[in-house]
Amino acid sequence: MKMICINCPKGCELDVEVDGGEVSVSGHGCPRGEAYAKSEVTNPTRMVTGLVRVAGMRKPLPVKTRTAIPKGKIDAVLFAMHQTTVQLPVKIGDVIIPSVADTGVDVVATANM
Amino acid sequence: MKTDVIVVGAGVVGCAVARELARWNLSVTVLEAGSDVAEGASKANSAIVHAGFDANPGTNKAKFNVLGNRMFEDVCRELKVPFRRNGSIVLAFGPEDEATLRELKERGERNGVPTEIISQDELRRREPNVSSEATAALWAPTGGICCPYELTFRYAENAAANGAEFFFEAKVVNVVRIVPHGDYVPDAPFPYMVTCEDGREFTARAVVNCAGTHSDELNNLVSHRKYSITARRGEYLMLDRDEDGTFSATMFQCPGKMGKGILVSPTVDGTVIVGPTAEDVDDKEDKATTYAGLEKVKAGARRTYPDLPIGKVIAEFSGMRAHETTVGDFVIGEAVDAPCFFNAVGVESPGLTSAPAIGLYLAGRVAERLGASRKNPSLISKDVSWWPKTREMKPSELAELVERDPSFGRVVCRCEEVTEGEIRAAIRARVGARTLDGIKRRTRSGMGRCQGGFCTPRLIEILGAELGLSPEAFLLSRKTAPAALKAREAGNGERVTGNGVLDVLVVGAGPAGLAAACAAKEAGADGVLVIERDDAPGGILQQCIHNGFGLHRFKEELTGPEYAQRFVDKAAELGIPVVCGTMVLDISPRPDGSVEVTAMSPRGGLKVYRSRSVVLAMGCRERPRGALMTPGTRPAGVYTAGTVQRLVNMDGIMPGRRVVILGSGDIGLIMARRLTFSGAKVLACVEIMKKSSGLMRNVVQCLNDYDIPLLLSHTVTDVEGREHVTGVKVAKVDDDLKPIPGTEMHFDCDTLVLSCGLIPENELTKKAGVEMDARTRGPKVDPKTMATSVPGIFAGGNVVRVYDLVDWVSRDSEIAGRSAAAYAIQYGR
Repeated sequence: MKMICINCPKGCELDVEVDGGEVSVSGHGCPRGEAYAKSEVTNPTRMVTGLVRVAGMRKPLPVKTRTAIPKGKIDAVLFAMHQTTVQLPVKIGDVIIPSVADTGVDVVATANM
Repeated sequence: MKTDVIVVGAGVVGCAVARELARWNLSVTVLEAGSDVAEGASKANSAIVHAGFDANPGTNKAKFNVLGNRMFEDVCRELKVPFRRNGSIVLAFGPEDEATLRELKERGERNGVPTEIISQDELRRREPNVSSEATAALWAPTGGICCPYELTFRYAENAAANGAEFFFEAKVVNVVRIVPHGDYVPDAPFPYMVTCEDGREFTARAVVNCAGTHSDELNNLVSHRKYSITARRGEYLMLDRDEDGTFSATMFQCPGKMGKGILVSPTVDGTVIVGPTAEDVDDKEDKATTYAGLEKVKAGARRTYPDLPIGKVIAEFSGMRAHETTVGDFVIGEAVDAPCFFNAVGVESPGLTSAPAIGLYLAGRVAERLGASRKNPSLISKDVSWWPKTREMKPSELAELVERDPSFGRVVCRCEEVTEGEIRAAIRARVGARTLDGIKRRTRSGMGRCQGGFCTPRLIEILGAELGLSPEAFLLSRKTAPAALKAREAGNGERVTGNGVLDVLVVGAGPAGLAAACAAKEAGADGVLVIERDDAPGGILQQCIHNGFGLHRFKEELTGPEYAQRFVDKAAELGIPVVCGTMVLDISPRPDGSVEVTAMSPRGGLKVYRSRSVVLAMGCRERPRGALMTPGTRPAGVYTAGTVQRLVNMDGIMPGRRVVILGSGDIGLIMARRLTFSGAKVLACVEIMKKSSGLMRNVVQCLNDYDIPLLLSHTVTDVEGREHVTGVKVAKVDDDLKPIPGTEMHFDCDTLVLSCGLIPENELTKKAGVEMDARTRGPKVDPKTMATSVPGIFAGGNVVRVYDLVDWVSRDSEIAGRSAAAYAIQYGR
């Protein structure tokens, strides 16, 4: 299977072979490419960045999942972000939604407001 | 409502008539179908004040052209409108054309217009950029250029100052002459009843028909002498201010049956206008541009100007001439069988030139017919709601103005340097702006090379605040803004610094500027100052809320705001002041080796800084729609990807629900995902080339992850919708990037997002006299030091060339910062 690594702008073209439980990867330029390919065939994950409402303001607060979450959970994570309104002040790294959509991953603020 | 005179149509002719009428003791009412003055031919024409040699002797066109031309200086001085008598040149390409020149010269003599035939050598001496194919030319020194909508607008303001009332969105659907006894009764007090589409009724003693392309329909309601107007569309291209000075005169080609042909002309605003085509169309409102039309403009213009730089196109547009087919001339005066019904029918070119004369003539005829007396001259207001244009002011005047009203120190439109004070004045004028287009035409905000990419979010905020409406309301349509919620006022986080000579002054507080400032400080520079035009530091990264920044530098994946904050924090730790809300207007090297930087802000007014060295870090800007020459109408709902990013991520505004993206630059790809996340349906991403111009990782994680089709070798061939985008046509292109007939598909969408790349932003660089690199469109720099051609001036980041990665921006900018510090220490102190 061929895939393109999304870790960095280089976008290495990876060759991935799955043989039973074994995953072998070639074409990667760094260890993160190999890890990406393995996770992509077993449990694909993505970082999700988004916006949450700020009480009393039009301007929204940018947020992100602290680490990547399972790809199948993206919609649930976005829904949770849409449901959230925060009170200011907020600092970068503040937890906005703990363990979003039962992923065990927190949504944190990415701007000081 | 009762009034003495109703003027139908608020184009340049209608407003000129209203202004001249308001100088008599008459009540004047202007009814306009559109939502602003100058919405028809007056907003989209060649902006030429014709000399008058071309019109056939004895016609109304000849008479009013020559009279209007003579009046132009005085009218423009009274109304405070820019006008320049730059002269007109008609080119001949061979003996046949030369015969035409002699004919034109002879016609000019009969019209009383001085002309002179000049040789090829003389032509080349006067206009070095003209094609060498041109063999001779006709020179008409009385030709000129002016701004047609500004003239219309000031005419309207002065008319309103003298009591004329303006009604907009008042489309006249019926005019009835009340004839009580089967015949016209001269003393019937208000014989004309005028009905608008929304049911409003007006009665008047006289009606003046200045309804442009619809003037035939209006006349035909009351007169048996029927006229017929054919809408004749003309398409134009507008070139960037960089092209100012290419030609000094207006360059015509020999006229043909359909009009005066394709011209290339300077404008009073410093841009260059190219066009028009001439094509009869069935729909009088169909102001779309077309692929074929724009190709014709390009081909026609190249005959005059072989080096026509297509990369400098900032806008394309089309306008509609009202061509009368039964007489083929202006129809000016009272209708033969409808007393007190006055016509200005079929006013096509030279209509702008003729407008002052038509206005004066018709107002005189109306006054005479109604037996009106002149107003006492001392009671006639000269007011035209004038406001200062800050970009044209002397520094000392500007400083004084900003002290009185700080909003004149806040630059909203970067490209044309238009301030908030000017925009507010345009909204507050008597016939004030109510739409984005209204502001654009009155102030030029959004008319420059970015075509509103940067200022649109600010403009809707100001419009909302001034008019008590929601900012979103102004994105719905180019024309109207429905009432909604109260808008909020933006704050301004500005700090002030002291005087004295600096070591390093950095222009721009994005990642490039902040990295350069920090590096300069760490390299031993003492006085380091950063000037930023936005209200907060961080640059464009503030709106790039997605992740993927900083892998090389910080070995972790950050979002844009997080990356920016690292540098903001570092600058704060190092004690580097960042002055926000301040626009640098000029950078000039001084003989003693230091550099003078002039900047303006609402609080600080105009301030001149002196620094031993300067780092340019202004970043880049997006290519606007005009640069892509997308045919079709120009409705609301077309944005660059960066504008959409700002609206969604910073202002909390969703511009649309069904989206097509043209171009596959990284910002476009990122916005495809963002808009999907925010609830929109992204129908397709259309790319003219065979491969995406964005990074593969973004194609994978922004398009493929969400099943958004990427249509390679396709382009948008038509944008549909009058008020707002209703759909786009997309076609496959061949190897020459030309659309292949028969491959069109249609998308129903309300938003078109353009993502077609970035250009370094170098207005200041050029002002500083720095040598540019034609390939990167940034300054030429020594990569080891990032020094430009001017000693003491360095550059870093996207202002030099457009980078893929912010990590390389900050790396190269640090080189610039260190070099600037070294320069200041070595040579300056």
